[in-house]
Order: sequence, then structure tokens, then C-alpha cells
Amino acid sequence: MTLKLDNLAIYNKNSAGKRPLLEVNVEIKAGEVVSIMGPSGSGKSSLLNAIAGQLREPFKQTGCIYLNTALIDDLPPYKRKIGVLYQDPLLFEHMNVGENIAFAMVQNKQIAASQRQTRIAAMLESVGLADMATRPVHSLSGGQQARVALLRTLAASPSAVLLDEPFSKLDINTRGQMRKWVFEQLLKRQLPTLMVTHDKQDAIAAGGRIIELPPC
Amino acid sequence: MTLSNSAQAILKYILVSLHLLMFSVIAQAEVVQFHAWGGSAQVNGYLQWVSEQLQKEYGITLHHVKLADTSDAVSRVLAEKAAGNHTNGSVDLIWVNGENFAAMKQHQLLLPNWVSSIPNFTLTNAQKNPAMVTDFGIATEGQEAPWGKASLVFYHNSRLLPTPPRNVHQLLRFSRENPGRFTYPAPTDYLGVSFLKYVLVALNKQHRALLYKPVTERAFKTVSAALWRYLDALHPTMWQQGTHMVRQASALQRLMDSEVLWLSFSFTAAEIPSAVSRFDLPRSTRTYAMDEGSLANVHFLGIPYNAAHRTSALTVVNFLLSPKAQAKKQQLAVWGDATVLDMSLLSERQKEWFNTQQTHPSALSTSTAVPLFAEPHASWTDTLRDAWFKRYGERL
Amino acid sequence: MITGFQRFTLIARIAFVAVLSIPVLAGVVGVLFPAFGYFPALGSDSFNATGFAQLFAVDGIGVMIGLSLLTGVSATLLATLGALSLLAVFYQSRYLQKIQRLFSPLLVLPHAGVAIALLFILSPSGLVARMVDVLGLTHSSGVTNIYWFFPYDNYGIAITLGLALKELPFILLIALGVLSQPQIARKVHGYYQSASALGYSPSTIFCKTVLPLLYPQIRLPLLAVLAFATANVEIPLLLGSNYPPTLSVAVVQWFNHVDLSMRFMGSAAAVVQLLVTVFALLIWFVSEQGIYRCRHLIYLSGESYIRRGILKTFAYSLCGLYGAMSLAVVYAVLLWSFATYWTFPNLLPDGITTLHWQTAWRGVAPALGNTLLLGIIVSAVALIMTVMTLESETVQIESRWLPMNNRFFVVVLFLPLLVPGVAFLYGLVWFQQRFFPQGEWGPLFVTHLVYVLPYVFISLAVAYRKLDARYIQVAYGMGKTPWQVFRAIKLPMLFNPLLVAFALGLAISFSQYLPTLLSTGGRIPTITTEAVALASGSSYRLTAVYVVLQAILPWLGFLLAWWLPKRFFNPSTQANSVIGNPVYDTKAG
Repeated sequence: MTLKLDNLAIYNKNSAGKRPLLEVNVEIKAGEVVSIMGPSGSGKSSLLNAIAGQLREPFKQTGCIYLNTALIDDLPPYKRKIGVLYQDPLLFEHMNVGENIAFAMVQNKQIAASQRQTRIAAMLESVGLADMATRPVHSLSGGQQARVALLRTLAASPSAVLLDEPFSKLDINTRGQMRKWVFEQLLKRQLPTLMVTHDKQDAIAAGGRIIELPPC
Repeated sequence: MTLSNSAQAILKYILVSLHLLMFSVIAQAEVVQFHAWGGSAQVNGYLQWVSEQLQKEYGITLHHVKLADTSDAVSRVLAEKAAGNHTNGSVDLIWVNGENFAAMKQHQLLLPNWVSSIPNFTLTNAQKNPAMVTDFGIATEGQEAPWGKASLVFYHNSRLLPTPPRNVHQLLRFSRENPGRFTYPAPTDYLGVSFLKYVLVALNKQHRALLYKPVTERAFKTVSAALWRYLDALHPTMWQQGTHMVRQASALQRLMDSEVLWLSFSFTAAEIPSAVSRFDLPRSTRTYAMDEGSLANVHFLGIPYNAAHRTSALTVVNFLLSPKAQAKKQQLAVWGDATVLDMSLLSERQKEWFNTQQTHPSALSTSTAVPLFAEPHASWTDTLRDAWFKRYGERL
Repeated sequence: MITGFQRFTLIARIAFVAVLSIPVLAGVVGVLFPAFGYFPALGSDSFNATGFAQLFAVDGIGVMIGLSLLTGVSATLLATLGALSLLAVFYQSRYLQKIQRLFSPLLVLPHAGVAIALLFILSPSGLVARMVDVLGLTHSSGVTNIYWFFPYDNYGIAITLGLALKELPFILLIALGVLSQPQIARKVHGYYQSASALGYSPSTIFCKTVLPLLYPQIRLPLLAVLAFATANVEIPLLLGSNYPPTLSVAVVQWFNHVDLSMRFMGSAAAVVQLLVTVFALLIWFVSEQGIYRCRHLIYLSGESYIRRGILKTFAYSLCGLYGAMSLAVVYAVLLWSFATYWTFPNLLPDGITTLHWQTAWRGVAPALGNTLLLGIIVSAVALIMTVMTLESETVQIESRWLPMNNRFFVVVLFLPLLVPGVAFLYGLVWFQQRFFPQGEWGPLFVTHLVYVLPYVFISLAVAYRKLDARYIQVAYGMGKTPWQVFRAIKLPMLFNPLLVAFALGLAISFSQYLPTLLSTGGRIPTITTEAVALASGSSYRLTAVYVVLQAILPWLGFLLAWWLPKRFFNPSTQANSVIGNPVYDTKAG
């Protein structure tokens, strides 16, 4: 799997001039994490939205986005198979921990329905959250929620992953651990990953290329 | 009662029963939309009883459409006529007073020539009682059937006003001495016009004959002078200094209940004791009639020309005119509306139904005979009202 | 590329716009014809201006127009100032929740109910007059005062008071809804933090920084309140003088006049009413401009203790007033509904009886059934249409004929609230009679829907739009289709606001008077039409029973909205949910 941004440029229709907000040209290989760094307002979030298929007025994009060799520009967001992880875990509060993961797993045709519960239990156990499948999500700590969020993203077997300031809300102690663990998981599954962050430590830990955006 | 009289009554009874049987076969499980003023708990309660009876005896469902104003229903029929709905109208039966009748008759909104086909109508003895076929001096021409009778009575709060005025002059003196304690509805309301007519009749004993002929400019000028003098003096002493006036007769009773007014009047004498029993008027309320006489009139039922369920409506009217329904209506505890039936045409048993009246301290004393003024000719109503509006301004 | 579900939501959006605009526009056309003399049923099939000539010859027409304008503008101004000063003083305070509760009784009670309730406490024999008498504050001791100030005064004071009291809680609710939107809440929070560091008081911060942000957002609802206040019928009918009344009351009286040719004048008056409302809006626009020009005076002025004191006093007295009013209304109305004789100036009735409730109970069943059935159907349909329309906003599509443009949509949304009911409902009846003479429930349903839809939409839109978009992106990333996201994520997460919107729909439907009366010709009675009919009747006590019913019904709806989520969701997962205040709004989008 590769994620390729071919001359992808984002414009703000409202701002004067024809200059794009940002312009990216990169091919992310399987298992690689490319970091994008830039000050706020440089269009990092818009870039992620564009890749996920959620770019809204007044923004516009030009250029192409490829997954492997397939052009995905015209696909609606739910057909792109691109998982997103935000700084908040964003677990669905009307479901318990297990249901959150199962909800994602239903979409994964490779796992039979009968195996789901055991798979979920195994996944939770592997990250030290054994027996938490029936817990309400808000009873988990921030670090625990973050782990469940990644499990949920991976359970849907995405083709690529976007990380949006994924560690900025974690406290210093868990941050390092989480970084290590997340990048391990992504590498293990050979997923091309694009991360936006303003934390240099994140980018270094990711170990991939770093693209610095100029301030607007 | 002579033998021939009772034979006649029995014959009528059989005839009535046959008719009803016929009606009830045709009119099974129909809904009759009865548009009638819904501001009185007694009237509403009575119509509920009627509805139950009709359901039981004829399988007809009577739906009382409670109007705040009868003209709402008139408007509806007119709108239907405008829209070309000539056979499937939504109003089947309508409780009308003189004014709405005149409007509906003029626009040909009422079904003509049906009243004489109602078996129980014969019990009103219309040949001997012209009031049964004249509505405010206009011939009804079979377009509406009489339903009840009323006369204008006064009532006062005896705790606040122990000796009430007994004639129109004492009324003015009372209001001068106790400003803000009397008012009458704006003449858009029938009770308001009735009050004007009462004053007009009471102040014009010498010209009374003029009032029972169609109005002329000269006649009006002659009799109205005294009325205007009287009202000019009365208005500034009234509730709200005569500026805001109640729109509907029923509001008077509420103002009496709240003890803002000390003296008021009504066209249904029986509603006073009944309201006292329901706590809607103070216990110290007393009903009486003015010494010089009371204005009297009859109220009617009409069927719109386009009523969808006219056969059932006829059955309903026949039931409403039956001795049983009329006796129930006359009971003080129910509604207390005087019957339109001629007692002399009823059997002894039927007469007994009407004699169940109990006495009530707030009720009109039955021992004193009250002279009755007939309604002036209908043409006076509009002229009187228009002249009043011109002089005192509209109340909307 | 859009899915079938998304296509369906777009169709729902078109239906939404159609339902709101077609009846109103048709109604206006239907009243324009007779206003210009065209009414074949009354034998007039040519156009002329006789109706207008007649209208302007009416004695006191100028006063009627003036009263409508004066009461409408001053009531809206009072209610707006009141609501804003409450926010200025209490917005960042922990009492805000409690204060909201203080104002809710008058929010859910329909206009007719408020007017009747005011009669019970403020009329010459009402609770206040009794207290004044018992405390010996009057020289006319023991009898009712004939020079009492309320109601039926010639200056429209009672009307203004009634309207302002009723509208203030609504404006407060709308403003709080706006302030709870995340992007605004965030800004406001920042303002408070930075400005309090500069030593400004919360109320000054509100006036200088929050108000300029808030006002544009509540402007349209305010205009709707203004339009409504200039054309309302129930309150001036029950509290106003009829010598002369407001124009709206006159319109209704002329339409109901026995002399059917008054219809021409009535229609002309309805058109003039429309112009009066437009003029009131213009007055508002001009005043806005004036204040906007002078804004530097507000910004540049420093902290003033006197001004702050006045503001605080005003806000606290408003709370006191509403608290006392709510108590007095409950006391007076409940007691009257059970009272036997109640002589002035006693503060308690002579005895207690259930007679009035029994009397009401015998006749109330059909009205109650109709009210509930209609309310539930209308609110359910309104809720579905609203949810679909809101969902359609997430569909990315460029089309010239789809009503996606926000400004156009918002105007349509407020159309039924901006065009006075007296101006278009009579015209609508004219059309209905022409094309659907058999319909009863159909036209009733449509007229209720026209009034319920905007409120359901306004109530739900805030919560729906502020649902964190990242949740949706997360689900899309799992390959969930828009329909799956809608069903499995949005609906459960928005369960509380959905129920609140439904309950509000019920309350609005319950409160409709003129639309119910006109579209069915009174053949389908509801609690509100019965209450107004009884208010014109002879029994204070029976009227009180109906006011209690009018108050209870919407409360039941809101109670259900509060109870259902607790029942259906595991309490442990819904621990911090509060009605109308979804837990998901803390995460910024």
C-alpha cells in the first residue's frame, strides 16, 4: 500500500490571490509515517480533510490523491478506507468499549461474525485492557481511551491512516509510551501514514520524512 | 282536557312515532355537525345529554361544534357556497338568533320549507303563537324551527346592592350613585342590542306602536331622542367609563362573579340560579324582573341549504322539539330554557315532566307575573345599532 | 456521487421549503383578491379599492394601527432588553440553570393561557388586588376598585405587558441556544478570560464583546417575535380595550361579522396588517442602524458602577417578577379551578370542590384526544422532515435549483413567523374551500405543520450542527455509509435534543388557536380552542381548569423528553446528560 499526494494544493476561495494555502507532493510507502509540521492556520487540518474527502467550502483542492495506483479524488469519504485518529479518542459514548470496536469490525469482511467477540477480547488483551469490553467508555482513563481508539481504527482494516495531533492531549508520562506503541502497530500492519503535528518530538519519534509548511 | 283533545294528541303521537321510525331507518350511524355557541356549561351539558339520547334511540352521533360566535358558522356556509360546495356542506344544523337568521336568509344559505314536516313542530301550536314563526319581526317561512324562549331579567348581588333599581330611571340613578358597577355588552352582541331595545321601549310608552312597524327615519328620530339622552348620561357612569365594553353577554356573568359589577341582566333567567349552584355567581345573587316589563324573544334552529346530513338533521330537530327533550331543557339544573311547546297540546304525563322545578333562592320568583314586551320589528335592530355606532363608536 | 439516502434527504429539503412557503404565499394571495374587491361568492368579480376606502373611513383606524405598532414594538423591545440584561448579569453565573427554570412556566404556557392567567392575578378582583386590599393599601376597602389599572386600558399597556412577559423567556431560550454553539462558546469564553484580566465586570464584558457577537445570531428570531407581537390576536383580544382594539383583533372581528360584505374591509385590513408588520420591522432596522452608528460610545465608555447597578437591579427584579408571577399563576389558577364561592377580598375560597373538573372532564375527552393525536402526528412529521433537511446539509452538491443557499433557506424558515397569521390564514381557508372542501384533518395538519416546523428546526439545528464532525469522519473512515452513520451514530448521539425538539413541537401544536379554528371551522376542537371559547364564556372556574390543562400538556411532553433517555439508555453510560445540553458539545470541531 502507498498513499500518494500528487501536487495536492488547497485554496481558500475567500482569500484574495491565486496562491494556494499549501501544496504537497509526496508518496508515502507502506509502513512509513510522514510528518507534516507547521504553525496553526497553515492548512494542516484542511489537508487531512481533503485526503479524507471532507473538504468543505470555502476551501478547494487541485491535484490528485492515489491509494496504490487508484485515484480516490472522486470517491465519497466512506469509500476511501482512510482511518483517522484525532487528539481526542472520540469513542462513541452510546456504545461500550467492545461495541465500539465491533462497530468498526463489521465493515471488515475478512472476520466472520462468530469470531468477532474473541478477536475483540484478544485485541484488548494485547494492549493491556483485558476484560474491559463491556465497560462504558467514559469510565476509561485518557490513555486507555486512546488505545481503544487506535484498536477501533485498525479493526476496520484501513488502507491508510491519518493522524491529527494524536498525542497532544496525553500527559507527559503516557505520551512517550503511546507514541512508541502507535508507530509499532502502524508499522506492523504496513500502513502508509500521514501525521500532522506541531510537536517536533512526535515527528522525530515517527522516524519518517518531515515536511515543514511555511507560515501563511 | 276534552276527549277529542286527547284523541288528537294520541293521533299525533302515533304520527310522530311513525315519522321517527322512518327517519331512524334512513339515518343510521350518521354524524350531525351541530354548530352552536359553546360558551355556556349548561348548554354544553344539555347538548351532551341530547347526543347520548340520539345515539341510543336513533344511532345518530350529534357533534356539538362549540362556537365562540355563531357568525363563524355562517361564514363557513358562505365560504362553501363561494367554493361551489352545494351538496356536501360541513354544517348540518345551526343555532341561530334573529340577526344571523336575517343574514342567512338574505344570502339564501338556509334550507327552505322544512319546518312543517317536523312532527313535533305541531306541538308549538304556531297558528296561535305567531312568535314561533317570526324571528325579530321577520317571517321564518319554514327556514328555522323554534327551540326555546327567553325574556330579559335582571340580577344583582344582594350583599353589595340590597335594593336594586326597579325601572329604567332608577337604573340610571343607581349607576350615578355607584359608578363602575353596571355595563351592557356592545350592540354587536344580541344582549347588547336587546338592552337598547328594552330602554327604547321603556322610555317610549307613548310611541310604542311605532316600534312594531318597519322603521322610518321619522319614527326613529321620534323615539331615539329619549334613548340618546339616557345613554349619554349612563355611559360615563358605567364600568370602564363606558369605553371598553364586553363583547359577549357571558362576560357580564364573569364580571358579576368577580364582584366588579353589582347589577346585570340576562336573557335566560334559569342560568342565574344554575350558575350560583355551580359557584359561578356569588351566593347572594338574586334574580328579578323590572316592574315596567321584560323584553321577550324566541331562539331557533336552522339547516344550511347544503347540509350533508340533512335527513339526520331533521331527526335531531324533531328530537329537540320532543316533550322529553324540551322538559329536560327547561329544568333549572340542566339549562332552564323555557319550552316552545304549547302545554295544552301535551298529555298529562308529558305535562308532569315540566313540573319538576325546585325553588332556588337566586331564581326568578314564579309568583309575580311579569309583563312582556315583544321584540320590535327586525328593521329596528340594524338602524338602532348603526345609529349607536355612529354616536358612540364601534367596539370591535 | 451521492447515495440513495442522501438523495432522499435532498428531496426532504425541497419538501421542507415547499411546506413552509406554499401555504403562506397562497394564503397571502387568497387575501389579496378579496382585499381588492374580488369575491365572486359575494357577487363581486371585478377589482376595486372599495375595501380600503371603507377601512380608512373607519373611526379610529389610525389608533388601531398605532396600537398594533406601539404594543408590538414596545413589547419586543422590553422582552429583548430584559432577556439581554438577564444574560449580561447571569450568563457566566452558576445560577443560570436555576434562572432558566424560573422562566420556563411562561415559556410553555400558550399565549391564550398567559393572557387568561394574567386576568386571574392582575384584574380588579385578582390575586394582587386582593392582597392590596387585605394589606389595607386601598381606601375602597372591601369592594373591588373601579379605577384599577389592568386590563382593557386605552394605551395598550396590558397588551404590552402580556406580550413582553410571554416573549422574554423565548428570546432568552434562543440566545442561550446560540451561546451554547461550540465556536461561539469558545470565543465568548476567551473574551471573558481576557477582559476580566483587564478588570472588567462580567456584565460589561457581555455588553462590549459578547453582545456584538450574539446579536446577529438572534436577530432573525427577534424579528419573528416582533412580527408576531404586532399581529397577535389572543392577547389583545383578552387583555386589550375594544375601543378601539389592535388592528389584528379588528381583522378577526370583521371576518366574523354577521354582515358578510365586511369581508372586503376585513381582507383590506389584513393587507394593512401585513404592512404594519413590515413597518414595525423597518422601525427595528432603523433603530439597529442608529445603535450600530453609536457603538463606539458603548465600546469606549469605561466601567460604570451606576450603569452596572441599574443593570443588576433590572435583572434581579425581572427574576423576582417572574418568580412571583409563576407562583401567583400556579396559586390563583389552581385554586380557582377547585374553588366554590370566593368573595372579594378573601385570599382563600370559601371551600374546595372538584365540580369544575368533573364538568370539564365530561366534555374534554374529544378535545384532549384531538390535541394529542394532532400534536403527535404533526411533531413526528416535523421532526422527520427537520432531521432529513439537516442531514441534507452534509451532502456536498452543487445545484442551482436546490435550496441549499443558507440565506434563502433561513428566510423561508422564518416565513410563517414573519407573515402575520391573520394576513394569510383567511386566504388559506379561501383556497382550502376552493380545492379541498372535504378536508378537515388535512388542512389542519398543514397549518399546524407550518407553525411547528420552524420551531422544531430552530430547536434541533443547533445540536445537530454542533455534533462534532470528527465523529462522522471516524465512522466514514471505517467505511460506514451516510445512512449507517446517520442511524448508528447521529440518531443515538442526538437522542436528547431530538426528544426536546419533539416536545417543543407538541407544545407549539397544542398552543395554536387561530390556525386550528380557521382550517377546520371549529369542527376539530382542541384544548386551546376550547379554552378561548370558554374564556368568552361565563365561568372563571371552568376557564381555570382549561388553563391548567393547557399548562400540563406541554409539560408532559418535556417530562417525557427528560425521562425517556434515562429509561432507554443505561444510566451509567448517560451519567452526564442533561436535557437540551448534549454532552458531546465540549469537543470543538
